[in-house]
Amino acid sequence: MATVSQSSKLGNVLWPALAWIIALVFFFPIFWLVFTSFKTDADAVKPEFLFFFTPTLDNYTNMTQNYDYWRFAINSVITSSFATLFALVVGVPAAYAMAFNPSRHTKDILMWMLSTKMLPAAAVLYPMTFLTKNILGIYDTHFLVILVLCLINLPIVIWMLFTYFKEIPKEIIEAGKMDGVSTWGEIKDILIPLAWGGIASTALLTFIFCWNEAYWTVRLTTIDAATLSTLIEGNRAPEGLFFGRLAAVSTAAVAPIVILGWFCQKQLVAGLTFGAVK
Amino acid sequence: MSNRTLPRILQTPAVILLLIWMLVPLSMTLYFSFIRYVLNSSIRPEWMTPSLSNWRGFGNYKYVLDAKDFWFAIQNSVFIVTSILVITVVLGLGIAVLINKSFPGRGIVRVLLISPFFVMPAVNAVLWINMILDPVLGLQGIAVGGINNIIDGLRDFPVLGAFFNLWPTFEPISFRATQTSAYAVIMMVAWQWTPFAVLIFMTSLQSEDESQKEAATLDGASPWSQFINLTVPHLARPIAIVVMIQSIFHLSLYAEIEIVSRGSGNKNLPYLIGEFTNNNIGAASATGIFAVILANIIAIFLLRMVGKSLMD
Repeated sequence: MATVSQSSKLGNVLWPALAWIIALVFFFPIFWLVFTSFKTDADAVKPEFLFFFTPTLDNYTNMTQNYDYWRFAINSVITSSFATLFALVVGVPAAYAMAFNPSRHTKDILMWMLSTKMLPAAAVLYPMTFLTKNILGIYDTHFLVILVLCLINLPIVIWMLFTYFKEIPKEIIEAGKMDGVSTWGEIKDILIPLAWGGIASTALLTFIFCWNEAYWTVRLTTIDAATLSTLIEGNRAPEGLFFGRLAAVSTAAVAPIVILGWFCQKQLVAGLTFGAVK
Repeated sequence: MSNRTLPRILQTPAVILLLIWMLVPLSMTLYFSFIRYVLNSSIRPEWMTPSLSNWRGFGNYKYVLDAKDFWFAIQNSVFIVTSILVITVVLGLGIAVLINKSFPGRGIVRVLLISPFFVMPAVNAVLWINMILDPVLGLQGIAVGGINNIIDGLRDFPVLGAFFNLWPTFEPISFRATQTSAYAVIMMVAWQWTPFAVLIFMTSLQSEDESQKEAATLDGASPWSQFINLTVPHLARPIAIVVMIQSIFHLSLYAEIEIVSRGSGNKNLPYLIGEFTNNNIGAASATGIFAVILANIIAIFLLRMVGKSLMD
């Protein structure tokens, strides 16, 4: 018996220690990015300053001058916010209809919506460039980026909302109907207050996906509507000279989203597995 | 308004928007894949405007199938996706089981672990290829240099020195060659997606039937056989879902390949389409249709699996 309790005592220390080590290893690259951002470009590549150096904020204060950071950041904020908003405006009524008045085809429609998400973007790269540049004339506009971000996330938005709305008892909505509340009233006064948490986490997650999107935002913009993904991709090869400032601008690009992500990690599971894993 | 029409009206905008988004560009790709269409040609300027008179039938498809690059890109796509899948599922399972028990600071461990998933792909690639994997200036280069210095120092010792003299000087690996840059991509994407696998497996582990496990313990089953016989079957479905979702995301991997592998010859299907798009739109479109077919094969499996649990 003594050995059993001893080994479990050892296990009580060993397993958590191992868990901590693994977590720190996974977090290390992010830590290193932030750490490097406080070094000067010269110090960042010198082994003697690997861990001990004089920290500086210059990389952050010069970010506007070096990279025009704020222009890209503002574009990211504008496009991600409006795309999220529009996706919700289109998605909430659709998910409401599917959750509370399902027809024979609802399941098929949901499946089909999901399948649009699986189309490889690269397959329609040239047609999209051609359409937006030569025919519609909306290439490199905020409108185009918002539209595309909204469309590529719409299936996930509808799916997530649908999973949340399904949890609401139908009777509550029916009771509203008995009282003669209009459909708009049902959505506004009954559904939205009840599903507020679900709608908020859907919005948060959509915002994160929009912010991190790197295919369409890079391919369909040049200057005017370019987002942070374009900025970073444009500086992909700093030739080792600018590690410090590159680390700073990268930190500024990911920090808000990583922190936002911490708050919605639970919803991520439901959102990305379409409610199939509980 | 009847009970039936209103729901239809409410979901119409979403359906129409997605229908346009799916059909218009895709039918253009289909059309371009059957005609000769290039962006620059001084010899045949008539090929520079899309027109039915440049009809080529299945010529573009034949051209693509005969191109060495196409088969290499398919092979490489499959290699990259499969490697990422194996790494993320194995690591994800191990870590999920490890942090499933409660211990001090578990909340913080969770937050640290999930963070890589939220890093934007462009930053992920720039960070790994420069600051971590660079053979001279990155951590890899510095670490290899440090090890060599230590070995050099040890060579001066009387008896041990003879032993260390046998050691070679280590060479840092350049991750910008064709094969190694594929490894770099696998490494950085696996780093980003292992947290996703952990999160899903953990969610699923928490719904595992504890009484079954207790019964097994009373029957004298070892922890290992419990894991194999109870936990793994319980996780079969989430594993399948992690595999499918990741396949879809990683088959269209682009930013990482673009940043890490530009010019190194390492390419996957989307990257090859990008290369063709610089001039030969016909070939790019035919390749695109192949990519759609490949994605559809995988999507069918995924939809079947997810579909079952949809309505309950």
